[in-house]
Amino acid sequence: MSEAAAMMPEAAGAKRRLVDERILEPGTGKAFELRQGQILRIEQAVGNQCVDFNCFNLHDYKEFMHCGRTRTVHGFNPTEGDFLWSAPPRENAMLYILKDTVKRNDVLFPRCSAFLYESAYGFDVHTNCHDIQAEAQREYGLTPDDVHDSFNFFMCTEVSMDGRATITRQDTRQGDHVDLLAMMDVLAIPNVCGADIMRTSNFALKPVRIRIFEATEDDLAAVPSVPRMKSQRTPAQFRNARIKTTRELSADPDYVPDFANTPIVETEIGLELSEAEWATFEKLARRDLYGSDDGAAFRDILFSWWEERFLNAASGAPSTSGT
Amino acid sequence: MVSGETGKRNISVRLNQQQLELIDRTIARGLAATREDLMRLALREYAANREGKVDE
Repeated sequence: MSEAAAMMPEAAGAKRRLVDERILEPGTGKAFELRQGQILRIEQAVGNQCVDFNCFNLHDYKEFMHCGRTRTVHGFNPTEGDFLWSAPPRENAMLYILKDTVKRNDVLFPRCSAFLYESAYGFDVHTNCHDIQAEAQREYGLTPDDVHDSFNFFMCTEVSMDGRATITRQDTRQGDHVDLLAMMDVLAIPNVCGADIMRTSNFALKPVRIRIFEATEDDLAAVPSVPRMKSQRTPAQFRNARIKTTRELSADPDYVPDFANTPIVETEIGLELSEAEWATFEKLARRDLYGSDDGAAFRDILFSWWEERFLNAASGAPSTSGT
Repeated sequence: MVSGETGKRNISVRLNQQQLELIDRTIARGLAATREDLMRLALREYAANREGKVDE
């Protein structure tokens, strides 16, 4: 067990009421109904095992956990104190990582698939996370197309200087775990990663222990508040909320485009600069990007300043503390 | 463009309605009285933050 796990042996868990416990065997996964306020613990039964993870709103499967949104908010290795967010336009905090004894997870890599094992290794059939997820999700009527990008617990990855993501070995021990607190009712689907011929799980498949607890008051109090914005839309606000039931795509003859804030219209703002202000502007102007276009160069300065002065989120990421 | 008054320069910054909304909301915070004043403030502060630094 890692140092962190050893220092906190079930301290919080001891007070929690255990709802469910089972072992996921290698090559398998399982869908769990996790109610708001319950905790899903994903625990190393042996050690050094990656666990892929999907998650849906239990009452509306079209809302699902989104690795892209999650990584823009929390970076490439989300961990304790971070949330798992749903895709736009919902963008709700679905789960909160209450505890993470290892603090190495991945949201860069997609799930492994049959195509990967056939094309790269020549397998007709091989355990793979996509098909394991699909089989587990089938219990709830979902199809293989519903499997989404996976949050990869305990998976160690790095980005190399040439911009490619690479997998490294992990060093997790029996008892290492992550605790995921449900912020809403979800269908949570962990699966034992099927990669036994890669470094992901150190070239072997091992079982994983799953436990579900009722959160304690202390657990719930540990969750930071998240903003509630009107842009976090629900199907009631969709122009088309009807779920498509045919596979063929065909244009709606009655469709009329209705894009927000269009047409985009620019207005010229005249600005007189003193000699000193002009000299300052000339020092800052990105002539390499904008050439002799003074207006474009000044606009860049204006909004770069605004970001520095007011933005309280990573570049391109939503703010989790509101504006 | 250099104006008639010595050393003064006029530039024209094109902003769309969304950019202007952000600028006007920023003005409403009390930072400046006009769009032009805010733009000058941005220039001063952006420059001050870069004293001795090379921008990326």
